[in-house]
Amino acid sequence: MMAAASESVRHLVEDLLHEWARRIDEDRLEALAELLTADGSYRIASRYNLDRGLQLSVIHCRGPAQLRDRITSLRIANVYEPHYYRHILSGVQVIGESAGALDVRTNYMVVRIMEHDGVSSIFSTGQYRDRVVVTDGQARFAERLVVFDSKAIDTLLAIPL
Amino acid sequence: MSAVMQARDYTWPPEGPSRAPYWVFEDPSIYAREQRDVFRGRNWHFVGLEAEIPEPGSFKSTHIGDMPVIICRDESGTVRALVNRCAHRGNLVCSKSHGKTEEFYCVYHAWIFSLQGDLKSAAFRRGIRGEGGLPADFRLEDHGLQKLACTTFCGLVFASVVHDLPPIEDWLGEVGQGIQRVLNRPLTVLGYDTQRFSANWKNYHENPRDSLHANILHTFYATFGLSRQGQESALVIDSSGRHQYFYTKVGTDKPGTDYKEAASTLRSHNEGFKLEDPSILKWTDEYGDGINIQILSLYPTFVLHQISNSIAVRQLVPTGPGTTDLNWIYIGFADDTPEMTETRLFHTNLAGSAGLVSMEDTAVCQMVRRGTSGSADAASFIEMGGKDLVSGGSTKLSEKGLRNFWHTYRTQMGL
Repeated sequence: MMAAASESVRHLVEDLLHEWARRIDEDRLEALAELLTADGSYRIASRYNLDRGLQLSVIHCRGPAQLRDRITSLRIANVYEPHYYRHILSGVQVIGESAGALDVRTNYMVVRIMEHDGVSSIFSTGQYRDRVVVTDGQARFAERLVVFDSKAIDTLLAIPL
Repeated sequence: MSAVMQARDYTWPPEGPSRAPYWVFEDPSIYAREQRDVFRGRNWHFVGLEAEIPEPGSFKSTHIGDMPVIICRDESGTVRALVNRCAHRGNLVCSKSHGKTEEFYCVYHAWIFSLQGDLKSAAFRRGIRGEGGLPADFRLEDHGLQKLACTTFCGLVFASVVHDLPPIEDWLGEVGQGIQRVLNRPLTVLGYDTQRFSANWKNYHENPRDSLHANILHTFYATFGLSRQGQESALVIDSSGRHQYFYTKVGTDKPGTDYKEAASTLRSHNEGFKLEDPSILKWTDEYGDGINIQILSLYPTFVLHQISNSIAVRQLVPTGPGTTDLNWIYIGFADDTPEMTETRLFHTNLAGSAGLVSMEDTAVCQMVRRGTSGSADAASFIEMGGKDLVSGGSTKLSEKGLRNFWHTYRTQMGL
């Protein structure tokens, strides 16, 4: 493990995590894929499946273009009742480094707020398991894996986590 | 002064199966009757895949309606289905979702059951030092777990509390061919996905039987030509009316002015939506018949889909009149190449909770539930393709499947 990622690198990594969440919560989804590297991937899978060695993901974008396509689909194709998210993140831990990327772990909780009646509920909790690359003072996700804790999803998963 | 609740008049609208009165989706006594007449009624219920219980001792817990059920494979490899309720005082004998065991051990009073559900022993049955214990007339063989009839078809496991149902092949009728087409070789489990939503189980069951909505609600289908009304397609309903499937062949669009006119009013035919990375649309015609979409529904709670190379089953588990779990199990085949497995996993993006194609379904069911709130005595209008059980031919542009579902349901429920 690299001699504890320097303060400034840690700060860049934390900022990246918060920036991702903020772009979603502020409904700037079109800017989300910018936070992936050129061949960065984004995957959402349940702890239930991962614990059993099952490879299924509910969302798997194999590159930023596929994430952009998913966002476009949300905006103009998919039908779902309007809602927002509010992310709450735990502290960010850099737990290691390999092949030029930092291994990062962060807990998340996403509250979903329905626009029509204001009902707020804990929609998803889980862990971000990320590989982050820091180049020239800029941090980007080489791999984002969102592991959600519950085996069940309330209604549907439209907006990325 | 007490307010006397008027009992609801459960008279079905006179038009018959072309109407579904909205009380049927929300009334608590209807939900209770369904437990008896549908879930403990004369139906085979899907409870899992053989591939989920691959070895002797493997088990899975699930539900048929409200009732908790275990399926397992016994020492000889035979698939068994048991009610997950201790014969003593009703405790849940098995509280894990999947696993492997030599016996079922009830933690409360240590009643131990075999994989066949027979009671092997009950702790302190003979008391201690001549005191306590069960009566002399207690016989182990009278106190096993309730056994369900159990059968398999193409790797699917079905169970029922009713022990004299027709064989599963007869139950499935012509729709069995749709299962045999897709599940034509040994299966593997790729993973699970559960959607939990606020609508009645029948709101959802109607949805995949509704071959009409697919190209209208699901913009992704129509925009990318995965499924359009003008393509070669058909609806197959078995002669009992209980089950059905419909299919579409991508790339067989026939030009025609009546389609163009109708399509121009649909939001789903969105010419402006282009994919930056269209690889999600690539698929392999693994069955060699050009069918890229087949949606198969069995009464009362089962769906099998083929969407491109994504194959999955769905099981509806009601959790109350207004809440339901939809359990998806994604399937691969034992002889899939790593590339095909990768493709199937990738095509999961089209289906399930975050399905580019399907995510709308649970949302729209919830919206129907909200729309019908306060209108229990109104009814839906189901006359696309005709007013009865047989009109409408085999076109997908029909609600014949819905009328046949309601007819089956009414007959079972005595409505």
